[in-house]
Amino acid sequence: MARYQRGDFAAATAIVRSLSPQLHRFFMVQSAGRADADDLLQETWLRIHKVRHTYRAGEPVLPWLYAIARHIRVDHYRKTRRRTGREERMEGIPEVAAPAAEPSAAMDLEALLAPLPESQREVVEMLKVAGMTLEEVARATSSSVGSVKQKAHRAYEKLRGWLREG
Amino acid sequence: MKDREIDDILARAAKAPHDVDPALLDRVTESIGASLTPVRPLPAAWLLTTAFVLMCGSVAVVTASFLGLHGLENLGSLERAAIFSVLAILMVLMAAICASQMIPGSRWRTFPVVLPALGSVALLAVFGVLFHDYGTENFVAQGIVCLRAGLFTAIPAAVASWLLLRRGFVTGAASAGLIAGSLAGIAGITMLELHCANFELFHVMLWHTAVLPISGAAGALLATALRRFIRFS
Repeated sequence: MARYQRGDFAAATAIVRSLSPQLHRFFMVQSAGRADADDLLQETWLRIHKVRHTYRAGEPVLPWLYAIARHIRVDHYRKTRRRTGREERMEGIPEVAAPAAEPSAAMDLEALLAPLPESQREVVEMLKVAGMTLEEVARATSSSVGSVKQKAHRAYEKLRGWLREG
Repeated sequence: MKDREIDDILARAAKAPHDVDPALLDRVTESIGASLTPVRPLPAAWLLTTAFVLMCGSVAVVTASFLGLHGLENLGSLERAAIFSVLAILMVLMAAICASQMIPGSRWRTFPVVLPALGSVALLAVFGVLFHDYGTENFVAQGIVCLRAGLFTAIPAAVASWLLLRRGFVTGAASAGLIAGSLAGIAGITMLELHCANFELFHVMLWHTAVLPISGAAGALLATALRRFIRFS
């Protein structure tokens, strides 16, 4: 990351290539279709590039990265909701169907986490898929470690019930 | 079913390879490469904190000097020490939270709403202990003058804080606005304590302390509105 900040293109490429799959999966797990996840990933990297000076050497990269990704996702969700709201009010105009999610390896994980509310899903994704610590997830989600623990606990309770029924 | 079994199921699902379209990655790296220049990382947190404190402290002192330091001149040593110590502590703590708001993924030592609330309670307690004049002469007329002066002092402090916040990347507009507004509110109260020589308990408790929550709320509302405007424009 420090080399990227110094303008090293090889370092920037390496970071993009190594972290994109997990960021893409993060967006896919958050109910975004593949096309949306592609857009969000691209937007996230462009924003990361723009604000790369805010990363501090020695600090963990993932909370910084996920905090930005989360911000982009929330923005995208609000924009989409506003647009959808407008579209729903206009009667007579046929809605364009969103492209269906293509079958992919992430579908299993997506289906597994689908019954969870969004806030619990993102916590489980960061903890168990991205491999972040409780402290890192707390930083990325602007919350306390206690709140992250509570969300993870509730998510596990829901998953336990869901898996037992299934 | 135990937690470990759920862990295993999640781990198995997470291990499945997840590929991203190589063309997309090429587009991203191309865009980044086109504008890749060395950047200077943000200064250390303590430097940013100092900058916030200096900006807001300067606004308070300069404004009070311009209006007259009647409050400072009429306060006793104990009152000065108690009031300005509390204000200085609140200013430093709020400045530290403002600095952390500039950096995505910073550690949150406290929620931004907690400090302004605790700060208001601390100020009310200090004023309650120090001032024993229970008169309410010209309560509203004098109070509104002080409230207005405090809020007008908070405006340049808030603008300066916002300009510094913009050098980073704020991910929570409302919380950043709340804490920047509260910091500006502390600048407003500091100016009032330096300037206002009305030491009636209820005047100080209501009209001086009110600058903090009003500035904080205004900061949160303005930041949220600005964020929405940027998002949809």
